[in-house]
Amino acid sequence: MKNLKLTGAKADGKRTIVEVGGIRVGEDFVVIAGPCAVESEDQMVRTAVAVKEAGATMLRGGAFKPRTSPYAFQGLGLKGLKILDKARRETGLPIVTEVIDTRDVSWVGEYADILQIGARNMQNFSLLREAGKSGRPILLKRGMYSTLEEWLNCAEYILAEGNPNVILCERGIRSFETYTRNTLDLSIVPSVKAQSHLPIFVDPSHGTGVLGLIEPMSLAAVAAGADGLELEVHVDPSSALSDKDQQLSPEAFGRLMRKLAVMRRTMAELSSESYG
Amino acid sequence: MTLEGLRQDIDIIDTRIMALLDERLERGLLTRRHKTGTRDPAREAEVLDRVARRTRCLAGREFTESLYQRIIAESRTMQERELRLVGFQGMHGAYSEAAARAWDTEAATIPFKEFSQVFDAVVSGDLDFGVVPVENTLGGIVGQVNSILVTTELRVVAAIDMPIDHCLLAAPGSDHRDIRTAYSHRQALSQCRRFLDRNKLDGIDWFDTAGAARMIAEDRPKGAAAIASRFAAELYGLEIIKEGVQDSSANRTRFFVLAKGAAATGGNKCSAVFFTDDKAGALFGVLEVFAKAGINLTRIESVPDEPGDYAIFIDFDGSDRDARVAEAIEAARGLVRDFRLLGCYDERKL
Repeated sequence: MKNLKLTGAKADGKRTIVEVGGIRVGEDFVVIAGPCAVESEDQMVRTAVAVKEAGATMLRGGAFKPRTSPYAFQGLGLKGLKILDKARRETGLPIVTEVIDTRDVSWVGEYADILQIGARNMQNFSLLREAGKSGRPILLKRGMYSTLEEWLNCAEYILAEGNPNVILCERGIRSFETYTRNTLDLSIVPSVKAQSHLPIFVDPSHGTGVLGLIEPMSLAAVAAGADGLELEVHVDPSSALSDKDQQLSPEAFGRLMRKLAVMRRTMAELSSESYG
Repeated sequence: MTLEGLRQDIDIIDTRIMALLDERLERGLLTRRHKTGTRDPAREAEVLDRVARRTRCLAGREFTESLYQRIIAESRTMQERELRLVGFQGMHGAYSEAAARAWDTEAATIPFKEFSQVFDAVVSGDLDFGVVPVENTLGGIVGQVNSILVTTELRVVAAIDMPIDHCLLAAPGSDHRDIRTAYSHRQALSQCRRFLDRNKLDGIDWFDTAGAARMIAEDRPKGAAAIASRFAAELYGLEIIKEGVQDSSANRTRFFVLAKGAAATGGNKCSAVFFTDDKAGALFGVLEVFAKAGINLTRIESVPDEPGDYAIFIDFDGSDRDARVAEAIEAARGLVRDFRLLGCYDERKL
């Protein structure tokens, strides 16, 4: 791929490690879990405690929500960030939250450990530049109509601002299929590993939008070599203000975490020398 | 003109009325040393008469009279409660006031413009106590306070070691994204330099952190915020945009509580001040006394006094009720000029 001066795979095969609150992303397997949106302190803190108990390593929750409809719940804004801060103090889990406005980048950076740039903003170049300048680790989601090359070029914008801490995240692309919300493209995981040194995560919640598909696709993502997962978990999914149909309950998330552990052991064995 | 704009004006005016009411009650509390009893019918009549004669007011005579009767009654009740009066330098919401309240939650805290006014009001008996900052982990000693300590007749009766947690505060309902400037005391701004840079905020010097918070609450300048304590935010009804905006978490200030007499209990720490002659080993001799007695010195500081002359401040663990400490103090007294024990007291770390 052309012009990927900073994002392209390195000749010596060295991969980027992003350090966040004692976690080495790219080396340690990471599970980011939490609700689609921060709705209240009670909902956020209870969810945070539940996902931590089940083994999540980071906490997600949207304070600024990019919604298809201008009339849908837009997020709690600064108040949401303060609630996330509270949830971090309660659990010690690092915070991942989305930023959608260039004017908010520095403020979200004051509260969050990782800034997420969503699929709809993947090619918002001024936002990418601002995120690059913030110096905070960035979770860059794949745009729903984007090719691998376009995606990596967006990461290049952030790296070009002097911020090497970029994590990529596949979250499904648009296809003719309407049964699922998006078509989760797991073939992108080994492709990213071949073309770039950046860590690659998978978000099966948005990638499928179907509750029953999240577990099999999470396991498949590990099999494909993903460095981490981002999953929507809500302490009470039926009362969620957004993404009701794709948020796992803490119990379902706990079951998934136990299966993931088995899958990761299996994958470690497969990559060991006996299967050379 | 909009309803929203007018209501905002009203909110601002209410903030001022509350601050002025507080100030009036404080003045009432301070009158206690200058009169006997709390009831003075002649004075009350004089106040009511003056209020009644302000006929140009939109507020009618009946209303203002009953309002002032309530105010006078409240002022009297407050005086009868015989609250302890603690003075501090700065405006309401200052870190010194937060320290005073942490030390004595029941006391009435009264602001003064200058440190010297706080000392003077304790000496004169207008105040029971004064709370002043002595040193900060980042900014060093508070020069003005330490120079007064060299000569004051007051005693140190307690010390408070308090973390300084700066907050970015804005008027309620304002959008954090519109903030361009941050008003605060120069020292606070310098302690938040990296935070200001990260968020592209211009720091603007203000005489006091709490004064900046009060200004934001009362004037609501566009795109402006203040850096001050959480306590100031509560006091002036400001929204906390971000807590802990200081660059270093090691930001602590130590305050002295001053009174006319020594502390009732012996305490666990002592402070003293003295002068040494300009000759080799003068200071060493004093330090040796404490070292040989096995007394831990926790602070030593020199403060310029007369040209060429330095006052030496020392703090050490222990109490003068302990014979070993008392002996060391006597021995030190013989080695230097003007040795004065500022006090033995309890130090509280918050």
